[in-house]
Amino acid sequence: MTQVPILNALRIAALGTLLGIAGNRAMADVVAVVSPRNPATTISKREVSNIFLGKTNRFPDGTPAVAIDQREGSAQREEFYRGVSNMQPAEIKAHWSKMIFTGRGQPPMMVDGDEQVKKALASRPDSIGYIDRAAVDDRVKVLAVE
Amino acid sequence: MRLNEVSMRRLHTLRRWLSQGTEPMLLFPGLTILLLGVLWVATVSLVRLEYANARDTATTTARELTETYEAQSVRALREIDRTLKFVAYAYASAGDAMVLKDLGDNALLLPSFLFTVSIADANGNIRSSTNDGGPTNVAEADYFKAQRGQPVFAVGLPQRDPLSDTWNLSFSRRLDHRDGSFAGVVIVSVDASYFVSGYEQTKLGQQGFLGLLGTDGIFRASRSGTAVTAAAAVDYRHIVPEVEEEPTGDNLIPVSLSVNSWDQVRRYTAARELYEFPLAVIVGLAEKEQLRPATARARSYLLRSGGTSVALIALMFALGRLSWQLQKSRQRAAQEQLAHARHIEYIAHHDSLTGLPNRGFFSTMLEQSLAVAKRYNHQVAVLFLDLDRFKLINDSLGHDAGDALLKEVAHRLTDAVRASDIVARLGGDEFVVLLPEKCDQESLETVARRVLAFVSKPYNLLGNEFRITVSVGISRYPEDARDEQSLLKNADLAMYRAKGKGRNNFQLYAESDNESSLERLTIESALQTALERQEFSLYYQDQLDLSTGRVTGVEALLRWQHPQLGVILPMQFIPVAEETGLILPIGKWVIETACRDCVAIQQASGQRLTMSVNLSARQFTDENLPSDLASILKSTGVEPSLLELGVTESVLLANVDRAASTLGEIRALGVRVAIDNFGASYSSLSTLSKFRFDTVNIDGSVIRDFEHSPEDRKLTEAAIAMGKQLAFTVVAEGVETQEQAQFLRNMACDKAQGFYFGHPTRRNQG
Repeated sequence: MTQVPILNALRIAALGTLLGIAGNRAMADVVAVVSPRNPATTISKREVSNIFLGKTNRFPDGTPAVAIDQREGSAQREEFYRGVSNMQPAEIKAHWSKMIFTGRGQPPMMVDGDEQVKKALASRPDSIGYIDRAAVDDRVKVLAVE
Repeated sequence: MRLNEVSMRRLHTLRRWLSQGTEPMLLFPGLTILLLGVLWVATVSLVRLEYANARDTATTTARELTETYEAQSVRALREIDRTLKFVAYAYASAGDAMVLKDLGDNALLLPSFLFTVSIADANGNIRSSTNDGGPTNVAEADYFKAQRGQPVFAVGLPQRDPLSDTWNLSFSRRLDHRDGSFAGVVIVSVDASYFVSGYEQTKLGQQGFLGLLGTDGIFRASRSGTAVTAAAAVDYRHIVPEVEEEPTGDNLIPVSLSVNSWDQVRRYTAARELYEFPLAVIVGLAEKEQLRPATARARSYLLRSGGTSVALIALMFALGRLSWQLQKSRQRAAQEQLAHARHIEYIAHHDSLTGLPNRGFFSTMLEQSLAVAKRYNHQVAVLFLDLDRFKLINDSLGHDAGDALLKEVAHRLTDAVRASDIVARLGGDEFVVLLPEKCDQESLETVARRVLAFVSKPYNLLGNEFRITVSVGISRYPEDARDEQSLLKNADLAMYRAKGKGRNNFQLYAESDNESSLERLTIESALQTALERQEFSLYYQDQLDLSTGRVTGVEALLRWQHPQLGVILPMQFIPVAEETGLILPIGKWVIETACRDCVAIQQASGQRLTMSVNLSARQFTDENLPSDLASILKSTGVEPSLLELGVTESVLLANVDRAASTLGEIRALGVRVAIDNFGASYSSLSTLSKFRFDTVNIDGSVIRDFEHSPEDRKLTEAAIAMGKQLAFTVVAEGVETQEQAQFLRNMACDKAQGFYFGHPTRRNQG
């Protein structure tokens, strides 16, 4: 059999996530963060999801938004996407695959780990990212995701 | 000319057919078929239009999707190629595989979570890669080998990743050393699903198809619904048409409806070879899915049309039925009218009782027959029939019996004559038979005899058996009369002669009938006033005891002395009196006068002389007879046992039961009963023995005959002997000679009367 339904791939991915949860790193509590200079304080799940999935490039108030993503396979990334858009990594991959192929968008910049996210946010006040709650410090402002 | 005739006939047929078309039998089915035809032609063309639209839409959609897919694929491939070329350029500049890291860090490469960019050295060893976990040596890969010669954009065959069960595609370009020698290859790898990620289920459905096919006939990626696969091998040229260069006009992508060889699904398939890459894009739209809405709509059209058809047929059937019933009832009404008219005509022409033609109809037929007879010198004969003593039956048994009898007579008459003869009823008891052919004397007599015989057979009416006879008069055309009225009149006259000759016979017309008919007419009118004018008188003939020679009684005889006509004999006027019914008052007068005279004779002579009075048939059957008799006995004071009433045998035999009861009633009054004219006709001794008589009067003809021959003598002896069996007293009538008286005496006959003993005398009044 050469055909592999995407659904199967999703199942395998979901299984992987479950296994991950069973492991230690799954307990991470991920929060959406912006630059302290950013006036936004709250954001809806849907708005965060739209920014990260390339469906919009602006905050709800109209100011430009640049998403800072984390590397594929990181616990924060999985946790984040599951939280805001209820998507598995395979689904996100398929989503971007289509976005790129059809020319409708490019995936956000990817950085390695929470520290890099904080750095990027510092250099770009219109950015939005996500990090482990434990990594939050005064360089970032946590957005309340509703 | 012939042609013209044929076309005229056709025109006529067509016109008739058209006029028939307006009849409901054809109109409604015809209309139904027409409407159904229109409905279904419209439905079928609508369905066809739906499918045609759906096919057009599918074709157009397939074409548009192909164009889009082509553009997307070309851009994606160009991007990959640009990356390959960029890396190759950077490598040439730096000469180090580490360039990848710098490029990646500066986001100059394709997104690494989808694409893997690697550099392999001249031996195929991977020196650098944006993602870990790939192969470490690619020396055997086709995209590596391809770069050993001329630098190309190589598209590797799809590789299956056994772990994730996904297909991987690799593209490569050659890396050169500064001297231009082979330094290795730069590779971009991507999941094959990337090239079919543009699959829109809203447009392509679950069975649509997107595919990227290498010019080598190997699918690099393909997708149908959510299933992504690769590596299937097909006949490239069979699927992808050669691009025809057409400098002018639109270069439309051809779309074909065919069963796709790779998965056996029938699709609207379009393929497009990519201009700068060894690849072609293929788009397929499953016919079933694309036509599904059309099929649904078509089905609804068919269902609606079907429903409408059923409703239409039902409606037309109902209308047709109604109309048919209407027509039927109209037809029925028309038929009833016709039948009614026929019935009216029948009634007008026929006698309601017997169903025979009536006088008017007979008259018409006779007229026609005479016209035919005149034209062809034929003969025609008319038989005029009158039942004998019919009034007797009617009066004694009632009109119902009379009607039943007339019906039966009509039936018998019809049986008696030939089929070509016509029997009609003129009214009352008068019938006529028209013989339109074979009228010679012999044939006429045969027919007449048959009529007499058929009519005189016994009848059984209302439980009583009785007999009736008929008198027949016959007249012929042209001998006896030349016109209808004379023919009928003469037959009537001949019939009266038959009546006069004792009834139950037939007579052919004779000239003399005209004279006697005058006489009859006169008698009839004279009779009307005879009683009032006291023109009747009674004569008495003595009856003697043969042994002693003494007078024992008298017989009353009626005489009519008309002032102008003179003496009219009873045989002349009695039949007329019977026919007219005048016999009843006359008869009553006779009995009353005889009784009064009887009393007077006794007082004058001091002797108990009996008084014999003969009753006519009509008198005897008059139901008032016993009561009339009783009142006469009372008013005259005559001794009942001196009165003797005589009836003839034929009167008794007409209705035996009735006669027996009448006789009983008469006897109950004390009056004696005699049978008259005994021996004159053939007697039914067995029937007569049912009655009780006091006296038997032997007919004068029996007495007169005995001298002619020994046989006659024996008959006379027998008659007297029979008479003795029937009654206590036997009286011989019409004794004219001494020989007769002596013979009777020898025969021990009780009494006798006749001219030998004295002529009848009239009793002096006062």
